[in-house]
Amino acid sequence: MGASRRLDPRIRYKWIATAAVSALISAVVVGFVTQLVASETAVLSEDPTVAYGVSEVAVQVGAVALMVFLVVGVGRAVLYYRSWRYEVREDSLYLTRGVLTRRQTVAPYVRVQHIDTQRSPFDRLLGLSSLVVYTAGTRGADVTIPGLTYDRAATLQTRLKRLAIATEEEDAV
Amino acid sequence: MSDEGASGGGTRPDDSESAGDETAVDDPGGGKGNAAAADDAEPAGGEAALSDVLDGPRKLHPLTIPYRFVQQGAGLVVILVFTGLPGSIGAFGPLGGVLALLGIVALAGLVVGYYVAYHRRFEYELTRDTFDIRSGVFSRREREIPLRRIQNVDISQNVVQRALGLAQVNLKTAGGGQTEAQLQYVGEDEADRVQSEVSRLRRLGADTENGEATERTAETVFEITERELGVLAVVSTDFRVLSLLFFGASLFGPSAFSFLEEELFASPDSVVGLVLGPIAGILSVIAIGVVTGLFRATRYYGFKLDRGEEELRYQRGLLQKYSGTIPLSKVQTLTVRENVLARKLGYAALFIETAGQAGAQAESSGSQSAIPLAERDRVRDLARSIEPADLDAFERPPRRARQRYAVRYALVLVALSGLLYLGTLAIDVLAYWYLPLVGLVAVPYAAHLKWKHRGYAVGEDHVVTRNGFWVRQTKVVPFHRVQTTFSTETIFQRNRDLGTVVVDTAGSRSLSGNDPKAVDVDAGTMNDVRETVVDRLYAALDRRRRERRRSR
Repeated sequence: MGASRRLDPRIRYKWIATAAVSALISAVVVGFVTQLVASETAVLSEDPTVAYGVSEVAVQVGAVALMVFLVVGVGRAVLYYRSWRYEVREDSLYLTRGVLTRRQTVAPYVRVQHIDTQRSPFDRLLGLSSLVVYTAGTRGADVTIPGLTYDRAATLQTRLKRLAIATEEEDAV
Repeated sequence: MSDEGASGGGTRPDDSESAGDETAVDDPGGGKGNAAAADDAEPAGGEAALSDVLDGPRKLHPLTIPYRFVQQGAGLVVILVFTGLPGSIGAFGPLGGVLALLGIVALAGLVVGYYVAYHRRFEYELTRDTFDIRSGVFSRREREIPLRRIQNVDISQNVVQRALGLAQVNLKTAGGGQTEAQLQYVGEDEADRVQSEVSRLRRLGADTENGEATERTAETVFEITERELGVLAVVSTDFRVLSLLFFGASLFGPSAFSFLEEELFASPDSVVGLVLGPIAGILSVIAIGVVTGLFRATRYYGFKLDRGEEELRYQRGLLQKYSGTIPLSKVQTLTVRENVLARKLGYAALFIETAGQAGAQAESSGSQSAIPLAERDRVRDLARSIEPADLDAFERPPRRARQRYAVRYALVLVALSGLLYLGTLAIDVLAYWYLPLVGLVAVPYAAHLKWKHRGYAVGEDHVVTRNGFWVRQTKVVPFHRVQTTFSTETIFQRNRDLGTVVVDTAGSRSLSGNDPKAVDVDAGTMNDVRETVVDRLYAALDRRRRERRRSR
């Protein structure tokens, strides 16, 4: 109890994969937009040789965009993993995470309504799951700990439930 | 003194809410329980009053039938007469017309017959623990709603209903959010009776668990004056129209001016038209704003607030009348709201956010207007009587926060100018694209104002936050209502060593806009406040637990 814990390193693969996919999609979009803009400009300039180079330009721009998005996305995924910490404190669950915008959350045990574990197909592939703590506040799902191994998630879930039940029912709202 | 289970609710004495109980039962066998409950109501001791309340099932008001027919059926009949009749006369001659007429009369008769049958089959009954409704012509529906689940009983009447002496009763559960059941329509007196009897029975049920029966007559704590209503109308005008005017001026100004130069010497008519045109435009924009303000005022005409044992009861409305209750034991947050005009005039509004009890997971919350507008002192007095927080002791964010706002506003103005400039390039229209840059002069003052109206205070029993210049909201959250606390630092805030703390409650309506937050405070303070609020939450819960034990 009380120690500052990190997420399982395997979650990085999930975040990197997600970043790669969205980088690819964004690069394709950028390529298309460049194609559109370039062909318009080519039409306006009325120079036949320019029209030939339009698709080449688009591909080049798309490739550059892909590199940039990949570097940024993967970098962000790694840094985000490094920033994640959670603590099972005496009275509350404490989370801190974030690269550009840092967020901290303090969820008092007395307010916990129920605790879910969730596993997406990708999570299952990596052997991970997320823990979601619900309170009566509207931001209930903001208390989510991703990247926990299945065992760790189950243990944490049981522990938090016990800590939450230890408080009187009337105090829950 | 809990019921033997003759009612469908089956509530345990200490249960704050029978979560998830489905009380709508579709099989006709459910009727037996209610008859038994009515028979069990023996006059005894403090419950002698119950026998005249539990006097058996009642029906809706007979005028409901013609009213509903006119409201729903008449339109259809009229359409049929006007389209079907000429059609069939054209197709089949006068005989066809007669047949069509007979058909329409038969149809109307069927519709009326249905309403009559529905009326005869509709019964509602107030028992000791439940509100029962039995209805339905073809498919019967029997509902037993435990009185404990009913949060508010609202009464509404539109103009026609008022003329006929009818009213609609809405039974709302879980913080006033959802309408569980409706009585369409009963007499006005009957509606009042239902409202007060439900309240009384609930209180009686709750009190007999504590071993005593108390009753406190409601006292009127607030009645809106004509003057306040007038101020409400003025103050409610939507000021966003002004920004539209500005934007329009920068776009259309130059073309208007060029017209002026050309036509000015051409003829006097055009000058008049030119001057009147824009003035008419401005006036109509203002008129729209004023009309929306007036609408708001009519909805709050005759606003009256009574304070009962555990609740505030309000009535309001000119054309359409509303009445309802705000349960005081479920208050999550109080908000004192003043827009800039109201502030200058010394007026404010009070809003109360409530939520359902244990088991409700934020689907049941409501924010109700406790006072739509009143002199600031009256509002503060009522707020303090509900939650005694100090509304004046504020700590402001550090001065360097003003730099953030100054930069933000400057960027917005520059971006707007840039957009307009790009627009002129693309569309080849002359516009005063640099007009927004004129606003840069006002930016430092605006930043200062925004900072000036920000503040927070961590008090004895409450955390109070205040934000906003155009609409300033002062939010009071008692510690024992705090759910989770969050803090965020964007990269721009980190630059200046600032941060924001958000206090989440069960009554928070929207996801981000309406939470109590201490914005742009010093980063160290942010960490302190975030932890202190949770510590105080536990301290407050401990205190309340001890008080409850002592009073048992």
